[in-house]
Formats: sequence, structure tokens, C-alpha cells
Amino acid sequence: MTASTQDAGEPEVDFDVVVVGSGPAGSVAAYRLAQAGLSVVLIERGEAPGSKNLSGGVLYGRVLDEVFPGFADEAPVERRITRHVTTFLTPDSSVGIDYAGRALAEPVNAVTVLRARFDPWLAGKAEEAGVFLMPGVRVDSLLTETGPDGATRVVGVQAGDDQLRARVVVAADGVNSFLARSIGLRRKEPTNHMAVGVKAVVKLPRGVIEDRFGVTGDEGAAHAIVGDCTLGIGGGGFLYTNTESLSLGVVLRLDDLVRSGRTAIEVFEHYSQHPGLAHYLRDGEIVEYGSHLVAEGGLAMVGEVATGGLVVVGEAAGLTINSGLTVRGMDLAIGSAIAASDAVAEAVAAGDVSAAGLAGYRRRLDASFVMQDMRTYAKAPAFLERTGMYGAYGELAASIFEGVFTLDGTPRKHLTKVAWEAFRRSPVRARQLVSDGWAGVKAL
Amino acid sequence: MKIVVAYKWAPNPQDAEVAPDGSVDWSRAKGAVSEYDPVAFEAARQLADATGGEVVGLTVGAASVDSPLARKAALSRGLDRLVVVADDRLADADGTRLAAVLAAAVRSIGDVDLVLAGDSSVDVAEGQVPMTLAGQLGWLGMAAVSGVTPSADGVVVERDLPGGITTLALTGPAVLAVTTDAVVPRVPGMKDILGAAKKPVEVVPLDALEVPDVVAATTLSGSRPETGNRRGVIIDGADASSAAAELVAALRTARAL
Repeated sequence: MTASTQDAGEPEVDFDVVVVGSGPAGSVAAYRLAQAGLSVVLIERGEAPGSKNLSGGVLYGRVLDEVFPGFADEAPVERRITRHVTTFLTPDSSVGIDYAGRALAEPVNAVTVLRARFDPWLAGKAEEAGVFLMPGVRVDSLLTETGPDGATRVVGVQAGDDQLRARVVVAADGVNSFLARSIGLRRKEPTNHMAVGVKAVVKLPRGVIEDRFGVTGDEGAAHAIVGDCTLGIGGGGFLYTNTESLSLGVVLRLDDLVRSGRTAIEVFEHYSQHPGLAHYLRDGEIVEYGSHLVAEGGLAMVGEVATGGLVVVGEAAGLTINSGLTVRGMDLAIGSAIAASDAVAEAVAAGDVSAAGLAGYRRRLDASFVMQDMRTYAKAPAFLERTGMYGAYGELAASIFEGVFTLDGTPRKHLTKVAWEAFRRSPVRARQLVSDGWAGVKAL
Repeated sequence: MKIVVAYKWAPNPQDAEVAPDGSVDWSRAKGAVSEYDPVAFEAARQLADATGGEVVGLTVGAASVDSPLARKAALSRGLDRLVVVADDRLADADGTRLAAVLAAAVRSIGDVDLVLAGDSSVDVAEGQVPMTLAGQLGWLGMAAVSGVTPSADGVVVERDLPGGITTLALTGPAVLAVTTDAVVPRVPGMKDILGAAKKPVEVVPLDALEVPDVVAATTLSGSRPETGNRRGVIIDGADASSAAAELVAALRTARAL
């Protein structure tokens, strides 16, 4: 324990920075702050980093390459995603858009990770850089005092009977961020900003995965699935390939789920047994299973990210994007950790960790891809709430293709005519289609 | 009083996968202090605090038993220092061999008055290591120890045996296997973990120890325990209060209540 920037007359601190949470945001922030010469403790609630984490997901990895060049060669990543598939499911059909491209492989655009393996690696990098890793500790509350400017500021954390004092606390404590809430930076989110994810890891032999998903070597596929997979509840499904397993899950908007009267497990079971997915999952064995809250509010959920002595990063700051085609969190978490660690190092060096001193975080975040993308997709949550996305549109698309591909001896019609007839039979109305189409163009 | 706590860095059962046929796959399990050992750390600490003694942690096993995480996990539980024998030649060692290595390490630590251990390991659960260790050392070995307190010339040991509770006075060196409820182990706090990083760790090479030869046993066959006659009653939990009533009724019918 060293206090490298201790000045005479200042209150004594145990560490320059306390980081709470050893997910991607916390570990990257801790790593970069240690690199900047600060003393850092990284506190994790689980017995080891990654142990509280379920399953995994797709990491859009360019941003992590900035921190650890060539990380995908060294880190325990599962597969490099070279194939993105979006599928509309109806009870008995599926319509998909399949994009496979070598351009996705080099440089690495996205990888699948299992967090139980990936998080320990990332936290290990921080530990190598001199971060004091402290697993098995649940932080109960923030310590606050009135600063020289008269404003309340965070001066450390409390866990059990122990207190640790720091110049700055980095809250990387995930979607519920009790720390950010406790100081009024975040509110309890309305249920239409929250979703529940039910996920499973399905074990399958390597070769079987490659054959079924049309990938080879360490390449992989990411499937986004909408429509009947959620029984019409706002949300969607995903199916990602790991090296020797699949990550399978549904994300269900909480308010819609409650309204439907169904349970998340019920929807997940419907999804995992859906005939549209059966050929991918056949003979797979569920080896891990669980659920997790997911932030879905998009830009509307991002509030204040800094106050005196405190910055909030990653999902704790509401930084997630669900565009319907891609679900992103880890890359935004890492992007926010980069912005926050630069700002915190600067503030500590300048001896001003007040809200004004830490304002550089928001400035950097706004200028980075993180907030630019949050703004780009700002309308996505509202767009995805339009319920046609989950039911009637899948049916419409399916019936158009049914008309195209069913050669039943009747004379062929032009595609536009087939589409028009399918549309007339569909419950989707023209005004709604135009309105949703326009909303989609603007939102995505 | 110099007290050694012999503990195991064992795979965490939370990470174990149980296959439908009942076999257990430990391959994805991360290491942790074996669940039955923290009580030994705590009993040793309380005894040392009462007598002004020292508590030395001791673990032996594969190279993976020595990592920054493993050191902190042990040292944050009330140890003064740690001695580690970490060698991949011990990766598949059975309890008899581990006990022999522990004995050699206890001798090399020297002047040890008492060895405390949990009564069993969480992964192997044979419960024989403490007694084999006592045999190797030529010391008194006692299992089912539910309490240890200092006395003028040694310790007073309380044992919870099927015939009742026995209290004994010990003056010579002994290996005591403590029951899971002997004391309530502490949950390491932030200061404990920070303090752990400053405590000395001695890594003893396996080759530096004089480990006695041991007799190896060969497993001929194995079978899993009977699961009993399970009734397989599933109660619908949709309505919590009626589910609770149904559960209580079912337990009454089964004479479990």
C-alpha cells in the first residue's frame, strides 16, 4: 500500500483510487490508473474476478486493442466473429439476414468471450500493473465528507467494519450500481429501461459448432433473433458461438414481461425449444444457466457520470446499446474506463478531485465513440418498443418469402405483388409500417 | 505457543459440474480455501491470541496452490505467516502422500506445539489427512475436536463424540481436526486483506524436504451413494402461501416434521 501522490496537509488516504467491481470497466480503469503511477485497489464482490459473472457475450474489441494491442491473441477469447445473422422467427418459419465477411476477421472486430474466463485475465493484467486486487469483499457504502468547496464529496468506501479512504472512487459495480444510486447520481430505473436476460451455456463439440454455424477454425457467428422467440414480449434472443459451447439467451423488457403475465423461464424454454433453432442446439447439453438484469434505456439512462471524488463507468453509468441487431455493453464499458482513468489521473495530478476537477471525464466521454454511439442509437429503445417488431413483422416477412419460394403450380407473380398480398393479409397497417420504417431508419 | 494450520487450496465446489450420470467434473473449478478449514484458522488465532503465540499457515499441493489470490485468501484469515510447498509433482498426490509432505514441512518449520486442520477436505472428503499427519509426526492425533482452550501447561480439548462430549487435557504436541461448528470463522475484511499482503510467505521447495516414503493404495472399484427413495414431489410455487402450506403438509405426511 503506497500513497504515491501524498502531499503534506492533505487527509491521509489508503490508496489514490478505489475501483469497485472487476468487470471489463473496473479492470481496465484500474490497469490504466496503475500505469499512470497511482496506487489502486480493485475490490470485487465475488471470490475471484468473473465468479459472479454469467455466460458471456460479444465483445466489440477494437477499443480493447487500444489498451492491450493484439489482446485477442493473448486473452482467453472464444471465437472471432466473422458472421452476423439476424433472424425473424414465427412459430413455424424463420427469415434471416446473414452477413459473413473476411473484413470482420482482420483486424479483429468482435470476439465472443465467456466472462468466467475473460474477467480473471483482465483483472490479472491490472494486478501485473501493480493494482491491489481484493476479491471477496462487498462494498456497503460510500464515505462522504464536505469538501473545501462546501459540496459533498466521496472520500472512500465502507465494507463491514472497515473503511478505505481514497482520493477518487471509481464505481464499476454494474447495472444496479448501488453506489451511484446511494449518492443520487442514478435513480432506480423505470421498468421500461430494464430488461431481464435469461442465459444458458450449451456445450457442443467444436466440429459440430463449426459445421452448424458455417464457420471454421477460431471464427464464430453471432445470431440476433427477434419475433416469436420472445412470445411477443419486447426483447429478443441471441445465440453466440464459443469455442466448445454456445451462449443462448433471451433479453425481455421488464415492463412487457410483467404485462404478459409470463415468467422469464417460460419464455426462455419456449425459445430454447423453438423449431427455428432446433438444428443449432440439437444434442447440446446445458452446462450453465441463470439470469441477470440488463440496462436497456439507452441514452435516456445515462445521467451524471461524475461528482466530487466519484466517477461511474460501464453499465453502472447506463452505458449499453441494444440496436436490435447488436447488443453492446463491454466495449462501451472499456471506452468509458479509458475516458475515466485519463480524467482521474489528470484530476489527482492537479490536486482537484472535486466535481469540477473530474469534469474532464464527461468531456472525454462525450468526445469518444461511447457517447457518439449512445446518441446515434438514442431512438433505438423507443423504436424497439413498437410491438410490431416482435410479432406481426416476422409473420409478414415470412409470408412474403413463403410466396416467393412456394412453387405450387400457380403462376409466379412479381415480388412486389407477392409482398403486397402478404401485406394485405397481415395485421400490419400501412401507416404503421411507414411510421415504424421511418422510425427505424432514424433510430438505427 | 506455535500453532500450524494445515489447510487445503481445493477446487471450489460451486464451480463443479455434476453430469446427469452423477459424475463430477472439477476441470472448470477455481481454487479456494477448502470450506472446512476457515474454522481451523479461527480456532488457531483465538488460541494464539490467548497465549501470545504465533499462527503459521501451511499448504502443500500443485504449483497452482501458490498464487497472489491464494496467498491473500489464507493470510487474511488470521495467520501471522505462511509456508507453501507448491510443486506440480504433487498435482495428483493422494491424502497419504500430502500428509507425508505436510509432516516434513511441519518438521522444517520446527518447534511446533500444535497442528490444527479442518476435519475433511471439500473435494476428496476422506477425512484422513490430519490423522495420517499425526502418525507421520509420531504425535497424538484427535478428530472431532469441537473446542480448544489454553491451559497452564498445554491445551484443553473438547471432543464431540457419538457417546457424548469429552474434555481432555493435552501437554504434548498434537494434530487436532476441528469440527465445522467449533468456532465461527471470521469473514476477512478489507483491512485483513490489505494486511495479508504484508505478511511473510516462505516458499519451501519440495526437494528441500525429507519426505518419508508412503504406501500407496490402489482403488479397485467405486460406486456412488444411494440417493434414497426420492418421492419427486414438485410443488407449484405460483402462489407462495399455498405452496408453503402444501410443503408443510407434504413434510408432515412424510413425518419429516
